[in-house]
Amino acid sequence: MEKNTRSRIVAKGISAGKSQNSYRGLVRAAKGAINARNYSQCDSLLLGDKCGAHTFPYIEVKNKTAIVEHEATTSKIGEDQLFYCRQRGIDAEAAVALIVNGFAKEVMNQLPMEFAIEAQKLLAISMEGSVG
Amino acid sequence: MMLSIKNIHANIDGKEILRGINLDIKAGEVHAIMGPNGSGKSTLASVLAGREEYEVTEGTVTFLNKNLLDLSIEDRAREGLFLAFQYPVEIPGVSTTNFIKAAVNEKRKYHGQEPLDALAFLKIMKEKMALVEIDQALLSRSINEGFSGGEKKRNEIFQMAMLEPKLAILDETDSGLDIDALRIVANGINKLRNENRAILLITHYQRLLDYIQPDYVHVLYNGRIVKSGSKDLALELEEKGYDFITDETEMTKSS
Repeated sequence: MEKNTRSRIVAKGISAGKSQNSYRGLVRAAKGAINARNYSQCDSLLLGDKCGAHTFPYIEVKNKTAIVEHEATTSKIGEDQLFYCRQRGIDAEAAVALIVNGFAKEVMNQLPMEFAIEAQKLLAISMEGSVG
Repeated sequence: MMLSIKNIHANIDGKEILRGINLDIKAGEVHAIMGPNGSGKSTLASVLAGREEYEVTEGTVTFLNKNLLDLSIEDRAREGLFLAFQYPVEIPGVSTTNFIKAAVNEKRKYHGQEPLDALAFLKIMKEKMALVEIDQALLSRSINEGFSGGEKKRNEIFQMAMLEPKLAILDETDSGLDIDALRIVANGINKLRNENRAILLITHYQRLLDYIQPDYVHVLYNGRIVKSGSKDLALELEEKGYDFITDETEMTKSS
């Protein structure tokens, strides 16, 4: 077993319409994982008020020098943010696309270019009509 | 006439805030609106920008010969109406650069122009950055996130420079600024003055008007413009306080 290992988990979930999104992740530090560190971040973005997000972090630590952190945030697109975008000439649908892309950027940036472009297009199509 | 406001009444949550506003603004003019807290200054800005929480119950607004109240929020912007917010909002993950590029290209699309490619856009950005003394690093960060008061206001003026509006409404642009930040922001605004653009400055304090000399000063009180004058009116207000106007108004009402 290695000493001083590090890991980072970034999870970005977007819910729209009437969907329910769940994050379920396991972080395990075994008996020999001396000075291991993990940081997990689980961010949820809710579009509209009929959807939800749920986080189920599973943490198993068998070494007392290991440090495991978990942080969860929930946000939605504020009316003020939408108004700001619209006042600059960006309509509501384009504004939501901009903000959702910004939200997912941290993860998208890690993807290989071709895949990232496809993922972005898929995101746009999935959101079509979800801005009421 | 660029903007013509006739007898506008507006309320929010059933409470009437604007009680009959009349104002005409021509291209090239700078009008300052001053008034005590609660007089309706920010409400006027919000109503012109199209904020949906406000209901216009009476009156008309003509902007560039179009019925402004019939236009959507984004169309008002694309027609050339710009609001510099008093409290600019943060949008995590969206850089000022990407934000303003989207805005500029939406406006161009609306006017039947081709969108700017990255190179052309960058060139214009550099030009406007120098105008407002704002650096690339700030523009690459998530818009307004973690910005100081001064940085937020400079960012608003940078966006104004990029969008080249016909009418710029600056809502308490001087609030929360120290002397240096005020100087930089005022400089930027002055550089954007030209004979084709009109500016509506909403301010609580006289000091901004030391830097940006208005052509007209109007005092808003209880939802109405109760007095209009030249920039000397602002100096008079500074000296005597808003009481002298409100007392005058109360006396006129009871006579």
